[in-house]
Amino acid sequence: MADNFETEMLTQRRQLYTTVFSQSFSPCGRFVAVCDNFGRITIFSLAASLSADAKEDSRKPVFTFQAHNGPVYTLSSTERFLISAGTGDIKAWSWADILKKSPKVQWSLSHPFNHSFDNPETNSIVITKDGTLCSGCGDNNVYLWDLQTGTCTNTLKGHTDYIHALTLRGNDQQVVSAGEDGSVRIWDLRDSREAAHILEPYKHDVCARPDQGRWIGCVAVDSGDYLLVCGGGPSLSLWHLRSMTPVVAFPTPNSCQNVVMFHEDQIMSAGSSPCVNHWSINGELRSQVPCTPPCLYSLAINTNSASYKVLSAAGSSSKVDIFTNFGYKAFSMLVC
Amino acid sequence: MASSAGKKRPMVRVSRTDSSSNLTDKDSKKPKMDSGDRQGEPASLTSEEEEAAQRDPARDVNLYKTACDGIRQLLQEIQEIRGSGRKDAAAEIAERKIQASMHFITLKKLNRLAHMRCKKARDTTHEHKQKVDSYHLQLQNLLYEVMHLQKEITKCLEFKSKDEEIELVEEAEFYKEAPEEISKPDVTQQDPHQLTLARLDWELEQRKRLAAKCKDYEDQKEEISQEIQTRRDQLDSLLPRLNTVLESTKPLQEALKMPFDEVRQQHRMAQFLPRPLYVLYVQSSAYQQACDPALTVTIEGDLDAAKSSGPSTSAALDVDSDSDDEEGTKEKSRRRRTISVDPTDRRGKVLHKHPLQVNITIKCKDGSTLALTFHYLLTLQVVTVIVQLQPVAEAITSAVSGGDLLSPSSLLGCLFPGDHGNTTPNPANQFLLERARIEDFNECVKEVGKPYVWAQQLAGLQFLNTEEVGLHDIVIIITLRVIWSTERGSVPVTRECQHLFPTKILSRLVSWKSITHDDYIVLPYCQPVVESGMVHDTDNFYVAVLQRGSATLTAAMLLSPGYLTCPPLFSLNLNMGTDHTASNDENIRAMEHEVNVHYKELLVKGSHDQLLTNQLQRLLMCLDVYLETQSNSSATEGPSEFGREKLCPRVVRGPSRCKPFVFNSQHGFFTQR
Repeated sequence: MADNFETEMLTQRRQLYTTVFSQSFSPCGRFVAVCDNFGRITIFSLAASLSADAKEDSRKPVFTFQAHNGPVYTLSSTERFLISAGTGDIKAWSWADILKKSPKVQWSLSHPFNHSFDNPETNSIVITKDGTLCSGCGDNNVYLWDLQTGTCTNTLKGHTDYIHALTLRGNDQQVVSAGEDGSVRIWDLRDSREAAHILEPYKHDVCARPDQGRWIGCVAVDSGDYLLVCGGGPSLSLWHLRSMTPVVAFPTPNSCQNVVMFHEDQIMSAGSSPCVNHWSINGELRSQVPCTPPCLYSLAINTNSASYKVLSAAGSSSKVDIFTNFGYKAFSMLVC
Repeated sequence: MASSAGKKRPMVRVSRTDSSSNLTDKDSKKPKMDSGDRQGEPASLTSEEEEAAQRDPARDVNLYKTACDGIRQLLQEIQEIRGSGRKDAAAEIAERKIQASMHFITLKKLNRLAHMRCKKARDTTHEHKQKVDSYHLQLQNLLYEVMHLQKEITKCLEFKSKDEEIELVEEAEFYKEAPEEISKPDVTQQDPHQLTLARLDWELEQRKRLAAKCKDYEDQKEEISQEIQTRRDQLDSLLPRLNTVLESTKPLQEALKMPFDEVRQQHRMAQFLPRPLYVLYVQSSAYQQACDPALTVTIEGDLDAAKSSGPSTSAALDVDSDSDDEEGTKEKSRRRRTISVDPTDRRGKVLHKHPLQVNITIKCKDGSTLALTFHYLLTLQVVTVIVQLQPVAEAITSAVSGGDLLSPSSLLGCLFPGDHGNTTPNPANQFLLERARIEDFNECVKEVGKPYVWAQQLAGLQFLNTEEVGLHDIVIIITLRVIWSTERGSVPVTRECQHLFPTKILSRLVSWKSITHDDYIVLPYCQPVVESGMVHDTDNFYVAVLQRGSATLTAAMLLSPGYLTCPPLFSLNLNMGTDHTASNDENIRAMEHEVNVHYKELLVKGSHDQLLTNQLQRLLMCLDVYLETQSNSSATEGPSEFGREKLCPRVVRGPSRCKPFVFNSQHGFFTQR
């Protein structure tokens, strides 16, 4: 009886302090996986929650499992695998197993860290088309892995503080990393001795905000490969890649952006204020859509299935907001 | 020449053609053609065109005329010969015929040449016509261009410059006022353009001056308003000073008052107590005299109102002492009672208290006192208790974690199993309460106090399902609780918990107070907890203030009565100029997370005894970490208020930039979870 009470109370408290760091849609587009600071991965069914006769129950998690011992910071999906990283190794789970509710670690990648007392975290992973996995870690390095052999093929060293975010550009030939040290570095995957370009937004008056710090928390490159957007301590800013100069700064007073993405002709960003910002390329705020979490860490658009094309936003709340029309919140799904 | 040609036709040709040597050719045609060719080149059909070009047409006309004349003459000669009827006529005619045909050949040739020339002329005409056409086109283009340029010119002429909208000062005034270096009369007099420029310059100059003046005035305004503010502050500070002056006169006023004959007064009042309170009073007085001098029992309240309330509710021992001189006051009080007590609604009537109350004060060993006020509800016929605790001065600061148990509302709760004091023990009251539309007696607890079962027992009221409780037991239990909490609540963490924390913690706990449920649920930073449905009005609520330098951390705590299984829940608000809470600062959320979810790390051998103290100590530690890393992570220059004293390998970690709130006691540094 007392045990039951205690578990219930702990569940309730955990829910109060749940932070969802990342999301990934299943290859079929019918499910979404979210990961949180308790090391859990929770699967929701979009198909069930978006169906016409959806009830409260259909928006509850389909399945939850403990994936890591500590927070999971990033998720990524390939055709077969859901790849999670954060605390400890990078782990790959088969989507088929997960949907059968019996997840097993299919393979894992262990970072060659050489810190004895601090176990660096993995903050971001991206996977190229030709099967190279890049992981941005807490020891200031970006590691490159060959997924065929599962070996670490290269290490990109240069950041002076930990890596926040990674993104690919130029037909997956280059990787862009954003770090706590305030620099955005563009690396060539074929010649990785040093960064090809370094952007330092905190040095430019248009976007610098000394009171918020130098760190860059998010970065994205547009599909045409000529614009880059990044933000964090400095305000969100758009960079022209050929000239490597800031073009526009997006005004986000008192809010640091944690996630940014290009979508069609606009830029979507979110951070330490409870809303999703939609910007036009010229720096105009098109709309600000309110959402539940007071601070957002993840925005994702389901492109895997046309019928379940939704925007989902998650952050420091146990609720994951789903936007069917990007202009307002449709409903929330509760991680528990 | 024509005549000569007519006379000797073949000779004509030969003579005309300078190079007669070619005539030796047998072919008659050829020589003729060659004869036409002055250069004497071999003629060919293809070169006829050239020939046509080279030959003079006028001469060809003459040639043509000559040939015609020749033919005519030959025909005439033939006729003459035929007419003569000579013998050799036939031969002569034949010869003439041949000559005539020669002429025809010449004609034919000429005809051909004429055709060619005609064609050539036509071609040339055509060519020229085309040329003319193209010239015409060019002309059209040029005309269009001219038109376009004219349009542009008009446009330019019509262009309105911005400066035209600016109202400039009059020219005369301009020359009068503007300094020489701006007006430059020598240049501007002649050149209107320069004049306009100069006037614009002057305008700019004037506007700059006005702007500067405006700024000056604003500064002055600022200064004056500041002065006003300081004076206002001065005036404001005057009031407290006056108050302290008033305060200091109080002891003098009290010293002049006469002491009361309390005992006599008490006994007289006891006569007017309702029966249950009388029983309580008598019992507790007896207990005090016999066993426990630390206990004091007094009666308080409106004696006049009690007297007037009649013998039906009073103890009615003996009211004879009512003397005549009291009649006046009795009347007065009755009037007052009708005004003040007669309830206008049923609720007030149901909850109507007897005007007298019994106060029992228990003194503890450490000097804290516990005051119990017993009321009797006339309509409901139950005894209710209001508890007040007055800890000694040092106990306030030391009894940090024990404070939850010293809360007036919970101190006496559950003295006996299930005795929360939230429902009335008199089953007969249900109907009365319903009629007064009070669904839950709990609502009224604040007004009247709690009707604990043991209180009814002490007052001699018997209801169903109650157990016999003696006064002695109750006093012992209460005293035990008070002592337990004050002793355990010392700020220093007990020895077995020392290893959980670093030795040096600079943040300090500066205040600790209890708040009500209503106060708690309106605190903005408690909203997430309130919305999660974890708050019940039977819980205890406290606010602790932690401080370091200019930063103040306010921690609102929720303590469930079942605190042994449900650990205290903290909601935090850090003020450093602005408010930081879990909803706008991720690190505050992380601090709450540390104390609320990971409380098990703070338990020693699974016991909750030290939990609240350890949680508070943990908060102080987290506040230190927060402040010390805050100054580091922001890029502001200059020395910060909070120096880095904690050892942390990573200041921030992960996407949430979480600070290192977890203390690694083995190595003495701080890490992130």
